Amino acid sequence: MKGIRRVAGCLLAVSALVAVPQVALAQKGGKKPPPAAAPAAAPAAPAAAPAGGDAIEIDDPNAKKPEAPPAAPAAAANPGAGGGGICDIDPTACPKQSDIKALADKKVAAEVYAVEQEFALKKGRVEVNPYGAFTLNDQFVSHPAIGLTANYYLTNVLAVGINGNLFAGLNVDSDFNFQNRRATRVAVPLTEYQWSAALQFSYVPIYGKFSGFNAFIFNYDVYALGGVGAISTRPIAVIDPDNRKFDFKPKIDFNVGVGFRIAFNKWFAGTLELRDHIYVEQLENIRVGRSQAEQTDVNSWLGDKPLTNHIQAQLGVSVFLPFGFEYRLPK
Amino acid sequence: MKRRNFRGAYALGIAGLFGLGVLGASRPAQAEEIQLTGPLAGAPPVRKLRQQRKGRFEVAPAFSFTLLDEYRRTMVVGGTATYNAFDWLGFGVYGGYGVIAPLTALSDNVNTSAPRNARTAVNVAKGDFGNQVSKMTWMLVPQLQVAPFRGKLAILSKVFVDTDLYLHLGLGFHGLEERKDCTGADCTKDVKDMASRVAISPNFGLGFKFYTNNLVNFGLEYRAFPYSWNRAGLDQRGGGNDGKFPDQKIDTNDQTFKFNQMITLSVGFAFPAKPALSE
Repeated sequence: MKGIRRVAGCLLAVSALVAVPQVALAQKGGKKPPPAAAPAAAPAAPAAAPAGGDAIEIDDPNAKKPEAPPAAPAAAANPGAGGGGICDIDPTACPKQSDIKALADKKVAAEVYAVEQEFALKKGRVEVNPYGAFTLNDQFVSHPAIGLTANYYLTNVLAVGINGNLFAGLNVDSDFNFQNRRATRVAVPLTEYQWSAALQFSYVPIYGKFSGFNAFIFNYDVYALGGVGAISTRPIAVIDPDNRKFDFKPKIDFNVGVGFRIAFNKWFAGTLELRDHIYVEQLENIRVGRSQAEQTDVNSWLGDKPLTNHIQAQLGVSVFLPFGFEYRLPK
Repeated sequence: MKRRNFRGAYALGIAGLFGLGVLGASRPAQAEEIQLTGPLAGAPPVRKLRQQRKGRFEVAPAFSFTLLDEYRRTMVVGGTATYNAFDWLGFGVYGGYGVIAPLTALSDNVNTSAPRNARTAVNVAKGDFGNQVSKMTWMLVPQLQVAPFRGKLAILSKVFVDTDLYLHLGLGFHGLEERKDCTGADCTKDVKDMASRVAISPNFGLGFKFYTNNLVNFGLEYRAFPYSWNRAGLDQRGGGNDGKFPDQKIDTNDQTFKFNQMITLSVGFAFPAKPALSE
């Protein structure tokens, strides 16, 4: 509504400005203006400079409104009079005061998107994302890793890529396991990881920007990913470590995740990603044979195969290649 | 010779790449900072910003759940009351009550598999092991919220939501139901006695708020509240030369450090219902 008033004010001011030069031309001694035009133009002048000499701030909704020029009602009663255009061609289509009021009252969805354009375009670029990872949901053995993701962006929001993690030598058996075994005489079957690799798709449904203390702006996006690959794991012998020894074996590994990427510039970003490795784990058998022969029988060493979710948080950086790009989309 | 040249070119390429990286990295992170010399020079990045926090009081009912629990998970129903003196700073209180506290698979496993004999008499009740597993019963945390980052996000380029990222820091008072201290025969009773105590710890973390309209927002928050407690009422410490062995007693030595964590989902209502606009 305020916007409409501003537009109406602007139109009034523009009509006044249009009228003022006409008067000025007449004073220069050129052709005299038609007699009919003078009365209409003269009263319009106060619209630009109201009595009292106060300046009008068009954008200020609280500004003093100029008084309606006396000629306005006459003109509004028949706005097409002498105006030509549609009123000459079809007088029934000539806008009336009631039409203008209805238009003025009409609500306008004057929406301006705050996030109109992505800060860094990705289409056709390669993202190289090295990171460090740590376990979020395994309180018994943590599986920190170093990893690398490489994505190729088919569009600005869709990428295909590969991902790999190296866990070997980084698994940490929590002291809690020993404490629990000692106190309750119950052992938790444990596993350790060696590596994982996956093909993946990622999709960027959310992007935006943050203002820091209203002093600077940075851009970010949120992406989801899904993939499939393999993860190599093995049980840690805790139930019967004297007899049992396990080798790493790869398992089919489904990946889903979500990530948060902050753009530092057009080609360098920081990333935080949560990735769930979903796979069927092979645990150590919690039962131990009574005889030596049973205990050394390899076939008796393996136990349950539960569906396992290994959720890891990844903190890294992303480098986009090539470094530069050009916007090809209109703002 | 050719091989040397190739190596030299390779090294030059690597050096060039490194140089480009250094040049790129030295660019300011403030990607859209106004760096003009015209009338926009020195202008703030955002004008007419809806100040979703400044001068507003917010009540946010919340649901929380703990992470990385060993013996028992806790789901907390509670809420936050916050007064935001500035758009970037608020103070208030978070409180909650642990309404649901399911046992983990490990507790179930101990309950069904642990031998009940002289060796485990101090540690494992003859009855339900779950009854001796500690609980978080309530928590109350006076806290500060600092919201340095404020912005918007676009979802599928269709929905635009005001967002802020905030940090919170407070001093937490945590009500616990924990195994009661005991010595001698008291410790080997079939049913283990429990007692309440209050653990005091720092609380800190970060969260996002998504302002769907002027009145309502949705929150997602991470909270850490590290302190020592005896999560399953086990005798783990106090004996031996270094105190790292069982001593057939339950006391404060058996309270081990845990970096407790939880995730909170909330729905906030801010008053007055209409936020102020910045300059």
